[in-house]
Amino acid sequence: MLLRPLTFHAPRTIVEAAQLQATLQEARILAGGTFLLNSLKLMKRKGSKTPGHVISLRKIAGLKGVEIKDNRLIIRAMTIINDLYDSPLLSDNTLILRTVCKNISTNPIRNMATVGGNLTCRYTWTEMGCVMVALEADMHFIDHEGKEEVVSAENFFKSAAKTNKIFSHVSLAIDKTATVAYRRVKKSANVDVPLLAVCIKTHLQDKKFTNTRVTINSGVAFAQRDHKLENFLNTQSAQPKLAIEALDYLDTEIYDKRSDNYKKHMFRISLKNAILEIAEKSSWSN
Amino acid sequence: MVKLVINKKEYLLDLKGHETLLEVLRDKLSLTGTKTACEESECGTCTVNINGKAVLSCITLAADIAGEEVITIEGLADGDKLDPVQQAYVDYGAVQCGFCIPGMIMSSKALLDRNPHPTQEEIEYALDGNICRCAGYPKIFDAVRKAGEMMQKGPEHAGPEDTKEKFKTNMAKGITYEEFLQMKQT
Repeated sequence: MLLRPLTFHAPRTIVEAAQLQATLQEARILAGGTFLLNSLKLMKRKGSKTPGHVISLRKIAGLKGVEIKDNRLIIRAMTIINDLYDSPLLSDNTLILRTVCKNISTNPIRNMATVGGNLTCRYTWTEMGCVMVALEADMHFIDHEGKEEVVSAENFFKSAAKTNKIFSHVSLAIDKTATVAYRRVKKSANVDVPLLAVCIKTHLQDKKFTNTRVTINSGVAFAQRDHKLENFLNTQSAQPKLAIEALDYLDTEIYDKRSDNYKKHMFRISLKNAILEIAEKSSWSN
Repeated sequence: MVKLVINKKEYLLDLKGHETLLEVLRDKLSLTGTKTACEESECGTCTVNINGKAVLSCITLAADIAGEEVITIEGLADGDKLDPVQQAYVDYGAVQCGFCIPGMIMSSKALLDRNPHPTQEEIEYALDGNICRCAGYPKIFDAVRKAGEMMQKGPEHAGPEDTKEKFKTNMAKGITYEEFLQMKQT
């Protein structure tokens, strides 16, 4: 027996799921299961107490799929990672999500894991959050009375990804003028555990960065928008040497204190490559 | 009672909420072709296909997939006739110890049903969740590629150029496999 006994619930509507969550003690939401079930197994092995109820969102109609509405990309919570990867609706600034999907774990996991699970499972590894903050995404939640609440991805991760509502979808503005670069580092060559993720979104016009956002997921804290680095990039003209200057700028207390040497090194490489990618995409690297 | 549809057969089962599909397949339905190893979604030996996608049965709650179409390794062959993917694995010597093979084949099948002409990169991407302890990946990749060709062109194109039938004919004349290969080269 891999798991301790639990009561399985399969609500048919999102409100029903929210009501179950509000009523039941120690209930966990099951999306793709790739994180939850492994963590329940681990808790059992460690002899920890495990939740008595699991509420699956799998049978809820309308909680899957990708669409464009009012020039915003809508990704529903139960959309499978590989389905998002295959979606022809990814374009312009949202095309970066294809890279994110491709980087996630292994193929069977990408066939099971969901966008909602990835964004809300409260585990700091999950890197999609980093890109969602950079792309200024909005996250939509439904409570047990059916009321919708919209929280920016930035605020959601600032509050350590905590909510007692059911996540229904994420929406992103489609921005044809934005340039986005994303880098993700594994813990080691052989272990596919994300160590950190860096995402830069910017607009480059007349060799000048504008409206730049830099987001980092350090693997320790949840995805955070890095204002210090963002301010630095915002004040600079777009020059190739900026990649190096930005790295020098990183040798500040913020980055030194929180990281070991490997992590700091990988962070610098990721950021440098992300900036150089933006340079390449914007054709000013020469 | 929960209805599971496995290998196109319906089962009405009294499932507990915590039972994984892997446990149900092996312990309740005796479908032991699906292997159990790491039990924490790392190795891919428990891969089955649900709605045409390769997924891990060790992290799937059986009750969660009620009514959905599950195919296991037992559901591929048509009686004694192997599925082209299985046949290609045999023909290309892609099986060493064999423990990972059911999972490998299920991932290959899901890939080839969508894309019969995968590139090397696409094959590696699709099989990146299936670990072979014998490290027999090159032959596995060959088998996947050839299985795709078989699925497109039909079973008459099965097997490597030195097909089994041709070899069998020569073997009847007392020619060894090595001699057969030499004959082909000259």
